Amino acid sequence: MSDQDILTQTLNATPMTRRSFLKWSAAIGGTVALASGGLDVGLKSAQAAPAAEAAPAKTGKWVTAACWHNCGGHRCLNKAYVVDGVVVRQKTDDTHPDSPDFPQNRGCSRGRSQRHQTFGVDRIKYPMKRKNWEPGGGKKELRGKDEWVRISWDEALTLVANEIIRIQGKYGPGSIVSMGSEMNRTLTLFGGYTDVWGSTSWGTWLDSGPILGLGDGLTITSHNDRLDMRNSQLIVIWGENPAWSTQGNAMYFFQAAKKAGAKFIFVDPLYNDSASILADEWIPIRPATDHAMLLGMAHTLLVEDDPKTNPLIDWDFLNRCTVGFDKDHMPQGVDPKENFKDYVMGVTDGVPKTAEWASEICGIDPQRIRQLAREIGMNTRAALLTGWSVARVNNADAWPQMFMTLGCMTGHIGKPGHSTGVSCWEKAANGGPNLVDAGGTGLPSAGTNPVKSRLNNNELWDAIIKGKYTAGYKDVKDINIQMIYHGGTGSALNQKVGMMKGIQAHRKVELVVSHSHFLTSNSKYADIVLPVTTQWERWGYIKGNREVLIWASQVTPPLYEAKDDIWIAAEIAKRLGVDPRKVDALPLAQQVMNQIKGAMVTKDDGKTREPLVTITPDDVKGLAEQGVKVEAQTGRITLTEFREVGQYQVARKPGDKLGFIAFEAFRQDPAKNPIKTATGKFEIYSKAHAEFVKSKGWTEIAPIPTYNKAIEGYEDTFSDWKKKIKGEFPLQLVTIHYRRRSHSIFDNIPQLREVYPQEFMINPADAAARGLQNGDIALIRSRHGKVIRPVFVTERLMPGTVMLGEGAWAELDDATGIDKAGATNILNGAIPTGQGHQGWNSCNVQVEKYNGTLEPDVKWTQRIPVKGA
Amino acid sequence: MAKQLAFHFDASACNGCKACQIACKDKNDLPLGINWRRVAQYGGGGWLPHPTRPDLVVANNIYAYSMSVACMHCENPACVQACPTNALTKRADGVVLINQDQCVGCRYCEWACPYGAPQFNEAKGVMTKCTFCEDLLAQGQNPACVDSCPARALAYGELSELRAKYGTENAIEPLPAANLTAPALVITPHRHAQASSKGTGHLLNGEEL
Repeated sequence: MSDQDILTQTLNATPMTRRSFLKWSAAIGGTVALASGGLDVGLKSAQAAPAAEAAPAKTGKWVTAACWHNCGGHRCLNKAYVVDGVVVRQKTDDTHPDSPDFPQNRGCSRGRSQRHQTFGVDRIKYPMKRKNWEPGGGKKELRGKDEWVRISWDEALTLVANEIIRIQGKYGPGSIVSMGSEMNRTLTLFGGYTDVWGSTSWGTWLDSGPILGLGDGLTITSHNDRLDMRNSQLIVIWGENPAWSTQGNAMYFFQAAKKAGAKFIFVDPLYNDSASILADEWIPIRPATDHAMLLGMAHTLLVEDDPKTNPLIDWDFLNRCTVGFDKDHMPQGVDPKENFKDYVMGVTDGVPKTAEWASEICGIDPQRIRQLAREIGMNTRAALLTGWSVARVNNADAWPQMFMTLGCMTGHIGKPGHSTGVSCWEKAANGGPNLVDAGGTGLPSAGTNPVKSRLNNNELWDAIIKGKYTAGYKDVKDINIQMIYHGGTGSALNQKVGMMKGIQAHRKVELVVSHSHFLTSNSKYADIVLPVTTQWERWGYIKGNREVLIWASQVTPPLYEAKDDIWIAAEIAKRLGVDPRKVDALPLAQQVMNQIKGAMVTKDDGKTREPLVTITPDDVKGLAEQGVKVEAQTGRITLTEFREVGQYQVARKPGDKLGFIAFEAFRQDPAKNPIKTATGKFEIYSKAHAEFVKSKGWTEIAPIPTYNKAIEGYEDTFSDWKKKIKGEFPLQLVTIHYRRRSHSIFDNIPQLREVYPQEFMINPADAAARGLQNGDIALIRSRHGKVIRPVFVTERLMPGTVMLGEGAWAELDDATGIDKAGATNILNGAIPTGQGHQGWNSCNVQVEKYNGTLEPDVKWTQRIPVKGA
Repeated sequence: MAKQLAFHFDASACNGCKACQIACKDKNDLPLGINWRRVAQYGGGGWLPHPTRPDLVVANNIYAYSMSVACMHCENPACVQACPTNALTKRADGVVLINQDQCVGCRYCEWACPYGAPQFNEAKGVMTKCTFCEDLLAQGQNPACVDSCPARALAYGELSELRAKYGTENAIEPLPAANLTAPALVITPHRHAQASSKGTGHLLNGEEL
């Protein structure tokens, strides 16, 4: 066959699909041209290194490498292949054969890009000062656009210390707001600092969960372990996309449950990638209306339940294990009329919370609401699982209580195959206490911060701008912040609600200091930027999940002039006249070894524990030579094995005694095994909860889970709710965990930008109404800011809802007020409600076609602040 | 029959996470613009008005699935036949390799391949493609993509053995029909899989594919 023949045949034989592949190929061709375009992107050090195509096994060494990010994932094993000091390749867990019961601890595309972060060309290499900065501020309005000047460490540390002394002396210790870990130690020892508080990832689960009895979903879990999940007949996943938000093994665990026969129902505005694999049914729901849907289901259960002919409600469980459901089960001393059942039936307020009532709000057919209520009835072995996202809504304080109440009504608590609660993070699809745990670091506390002022995340920027903050119920106080200290390596400015105000706040104070790896938003708007090491440049790092403990070792010496945060904190302490040994109070190697020595693992009996690691007299001697003090002990594995393998994983198999059924003992005998609530039972009525929310000073809620309309939820997309007339911001934005990043981390990695373009998702009907097509650029406006992004039209998203990944590094044009990166906190307003959580999934927007151009993110020049330095 | 190495892809397990694509990129040090393994998403369906309630809409058969695609190391490789310099060869074990010293960068193979497998490295002026991680195979290890998959959706082996175990499916949308090149691929279809050339959906990827 000639060349021409095969080409002709290929093209002719599959006209339709060939066309789609040509499109696919065309996109690739376009990016090839980019790669050779001489842009300053990519990994210089690795490109200079020998190509990995040559078999690396003979010349280098695999090192267990930290994967330390706040990724929401499972805590996976990451390994780096080091050749002559350069990491040329990565891999994940291959330390034991892989099986569903004893799975390898496999990582994601972000972890596998870690070498491109640590060795990125855009690392901050030296301490830097903003060119026009001077004590007192110096052209503060230039923050974010001024030039950078390289300075020495001594100059940088002295500048910062002198300014801490000056600002504290002039305005008092409370004038420094610190969002850093190690620097908090120094500031605590030097008069204190104003702290920041408020739930971030957890939404309202952080505080409400424990108060009501169900737990927060991470430190206390209320779902069963992964092997028990295979006993469930039905798994409902409410507002969660584990394939994106909890990467690692979570989806593999769910796959095992599906293979074991579980039916999956997803309730979500998006037919997400988890649903595409698991879902037997998908129920699209309007964002921030989940509570209404559950009330409609509760009403259905009450109306249709008949203990004899149609048992849907587990009355035995409600009777024995809960308070507040009906007038006969109220806590002492409260009005019986305030019970939950009477609220649902409309006895209290004249509004029965029927499926029809719920439907108007949540957008689901009343029949489907009733059907789901029937499906989760007490005689189905059901797991009702949710993510934290639904609780990241303005005014969602009663949501955890509502979700818990549905679990209590249907009795899906405390039995094999039955559970109710949050399935998130390293506990995603695998509830229960850890089977292996690290010991404490032994790092002594630096003491208590003497300053009592604390700013909530939602008021932080406003407090800096306006000088007032809410300290509690009817308690507004004055404050004068003149210094913002960003320690650690997060990106608070980028990652807290109300970034437009955040930038204004950063341009108001006299000094902004930022520790970072890159010119993140924190650093971009700072005056002094201090380069810090990544975990790959430090002695060691311990992390794990329920079944795994990982010991990561140092991969590379510190790069450029980067220093550990604790070194910086101690050096500044010296210059403040504070004893640096109280700051840097224990060497990292000693801390890590304390964690290892103290690590405990559960024995096969499921009850008793033993030390994980054997430490021999030879180990003791060897560590002493490194200045690490440790005593010999006997444990399950040798120290050498732990270091060489890099992880210890508890072997699990069906029928072992290492499983977990949440609240099993409580369910069997609640009097003997009370849970940690005021009444010892699940609190469907909780005075403590209502008072807790009230005490914060913004919102009051009922002791039972009544429906509280979200600020900037569905109802607020209307200018006239009764007549259903849409307002200026008719669409609902959901800000999702995006696979390019772990929050803001990894946003700058070219190979991740290439595969995840930070697209703006919109339904075909909403796109068509605005003349938008794939590839167009959309201008997205909220009450708080504006961004532009490439349009991705998808029927997978419910009409009326739009989505954008959170964490992109804002690229704000001061002249137009438009951010071209699509940083969701430019759109999300800072709206203090309830217990002070951030309500990222309640945000109203309008979308229109943007007539300017926008290059794909992967083509953007990286942020290299001092050229040629 | 000659031995033929092949990939098995389980579309019922793949959630489109792209760990395989990045593992491949990492292992082979691929520059931006070159991705020997890519993950395509395909889907369709739509929305209908609710029969009685004007304020509601009804989701109508909305579906989506992912396909991780690399070189198929075809039994009848179009790239090999298209190459005017014999830079592309098919080994005895079925692996299709390119000898870059012999490649003149004419890109005929890129045009001939219906899977987009050969990709041009403009800086070097030559074509590049998936090697089945032949260097790792020689050391008794698995291809990087296979060991990376958190969903355990990728495997490899002798084509006839994979077919005996998983069936003979090798043409699911958005892949082209298999009769052109006889790809050494065995697919466990997703529950919503549609046959090549007969699909009702569309590619769901944006500009990144």
